[in-house]
Amino acid sequence: MATIVRTSPTPILRRARRWAKDNLFGSVGNTLLTVVTSAILGFVLYQILRFVFITAEWEVIETNRRLLFIGRFPAGEEWRFWPTIFVASALAGLTWGLWSRLEWQAAMILAAALVPVFAFFAHGELALLTAAAVALAVLGYGLAQLWLTGSGYSAAARQLVMVGWVITFPLTIFMLLAFGGVDPSLWGGFYLNILLAVVGIVVSFPLGVLLALGRTSSYPVLRVASTAYIELIRGVPLITILLMTWLVLPIFLPSIAVPVLAPEGLDDMELTYRVMVALVLFSAAYVAEAVRGGLQAVPRGQIEAAQALGMGTFSVLAFIILPQALRAVIPALVGQFISLFKDTSLIFIVGSTDLLKAGRAITQGQIEFSSQEKEVLLFVALVFWVVAFSMSRLSQRLERTMGVGER
Amino acid sequence: MVDETDRPGHHVGTKEMISCTGIKKTFGDFVALHGITTSVMEGEVVVIFGPSGSGKSTFIRTLNRLEEHDEGKIVIDGVELNNDLRNLDKIRSEVGMVFQQFNLFPHLTVRRNITLAPMRVRRMPKAEADRLAERLLERVGMPEQIDKYPAQLSGGQQQRVAIARALAMEPKIMLFDEPTSALDPEMIKEVLDVMRELAQSGMTMIVITHEMGFAREVADRFLFFDEGRIVEEGTPEHFFENPREERTKLFLSQIL
Ligand SMILES: Nc1ncnc2c1ncn2[C@@H]1O[C@H](COP(=O)(O)OP(=O)(O)OP(=O)(O)O)[C@@H](O)[C@H]1O
Ligand SMILES: [Mg+2]
Repeated sequence: MATIVRTSPTPILRRARRWAKDNLFGSVGNTLLTVVTSAILGFVLYQILRFVFITAEWEVIETNRRLLFIGRFPAGEEWRFWPTIFVASALAGLTWGLWSRLEWQAAMILAAALVPVFAFFAHGELALLTAAAVALAVLGYGLAQLWLTGSGYSAAARQLVMVGWVITFPLTIFMLLAFGGVDPSLWGGFYLNILLAVVGIVVSFPLGVLLALGRTSSYPVLRVASTAYIELIRGVPLITILLMTWLVLPIFLPSIAVPVLAPEGLDDMELTYRVMVALVLFSAAYVAEAVRGGLQAVPRGQIEAAQALGMGTFSVLAFIILPQALRAVIPALVGQFISLFKDTSLIFIVGSTDLLKAGRAITQGQIEFSSQEKEVLLFVALVFWVVAFSMSRLSQRLERTMGVGER
Repeated sequence: MVDETDRPGHHVGTKEMISCTGIKKTFGDFVALHGITTSVMEGEVVVIFGPSGSGKSTFIRTLNRLEEHDEGKIVIDGVELNNDLRNLDKIRSEVGMVFQQFNLFPHLTVRRNITLAPMRVRRMPKAEADRLAERLLERVGMPEQIDKYPAQLSGGQQQRVAIARALAMEPKIMLFDEPTSALDPEMIKEVLDVMRELAQSGMTMIVITHEMGFAREVADRFLFFDEGRIVEEGTPEHFFENPREERTKLFLSQIL
């Protein structure tokens, strides 16, 4: 024991010095590079910290947190969000507990980041509700780790959780529209970004898979149609498509009534829905290209083996080709979904008030905060970053648990 | 034409399981099979050998329509192989195939690899399929590996799982396309042992292999392929003692 205590500091120090010597100060050029880079980094870091903790005036965020997160959603209707948030929290906890275990470091970092934000934003009722959501997540995690994992019920629990996630989406929409409903033109803030991204991802994913299958199919009509669609969409900027859904689309749309989406007829369809449709159609083309890459990566022998066993076209597709193809393209797909999420901020183009637009509206509309543009933008960027970064981490986790590349 | 001598341990029946008449197959301008005519009896073990590119794989792949033949007639257990999809379904569920590269499904456990087709194609209940998988893994000598993934197994083990997977459909005929040529030498024997047991149990088999010792021991009949034709056909003794064709002699002298 004593020997360890005595000898261990020296090798570590020596190793650190060796590492620094090899990697940072190996040559004159190297040393120069190290010094210059450190100086620049230090300066930038200093400027940022000084701004965040000294110069910046963050009241603008606190005062406008409602506008930033839910836009012009009518007062008194906030209860519509909470069932979704509670269900999603509980499911998130369960999912985490059932499919993997808590990494304490990650949890600490998350807590360290969220607690100050929480303390800053949440007072009174909001604090209670948020705490309840967090408690549900913890409860779900505990339930999964303590009782379900390893018990006879874990497979059934996983299936239930997946069904739960599938139900969450219609539940969200139902809660916004049912019992008197809130007009979609009033949906806004970060909630709208999330909603648009979820709709975009959930709907464009199956659509993209179908398009990819169409493009690789042996039926010429399907192949040509899918290819044409994909190439057409990929050649046009999203902004253009969004503007078209606003200005051009109504000209072409028939006045067929579609329940929920357009009870008055398609040409009268709510702009928010039109934006959703545009995002879905846009994203589907990119999903299709990612999935196509995966389809091509499935070796021919896999299909032959399945056919030789007597499996029909559908079974081969559903149980052999797609699982392998999708697994191979998780990184590309998640990348696509992350850009879709960030692209939802473009809907300010058609006049919706998402997080970014809300931020702009604050500094332009509220005289007392007109000089806090930097704070607002920084905050908006941070919120987007937190979600995008989480998605990227989730994708890495997914890749690991699904064993990509361990062929 | 069909050799009626019994090999030790199994019996060649009188029912024709596979009948091929004048099978032709072309890839573009290239003729891979120039009219193959042969038949295989119930319980018979036929070994095919010949130089690379001679059409061995192409031939057995036409038997379950992994390749579609251009001309000629193939009848499997009384069912003609043609564009009728019902016939194809019937034939594919009666003909099992084992590939050189195993082609196990990497995303599924050994258990799921074996139970998937019986459950999907034969609508077998899960519990029954699980029992079947356990029994078959027992038969190929690896009952402990049922919950592993293919990547966690050695090549020899993977090929034995592939055999178990094919057997799960209870085929009447098994096709083997160079089942041991992707294996390290020390793993060849474990796979050949399983195949030997299968031959002795009375399975009708067509095996492409250059393991001539094994072939001599289990085969009722040899087919020597060259340039898309059956150049010579006969018992193993015939081939080992006095092959007729010059090409056969030359090829045998190269591989023995
Ligand atoms: N899909 C294909 N397209 C074009 N040519 C092909 C195709 N499949 C096989 N061939 C050609 O047909 C010929 C016979 O191929 P086959 O695979 O049947 O030979 P083989 O006897 O099995 O050879 P090996 O011992 O190398 O496996 C070869 O010349 C091959 O190049
Ligand atoms: Mg071959």
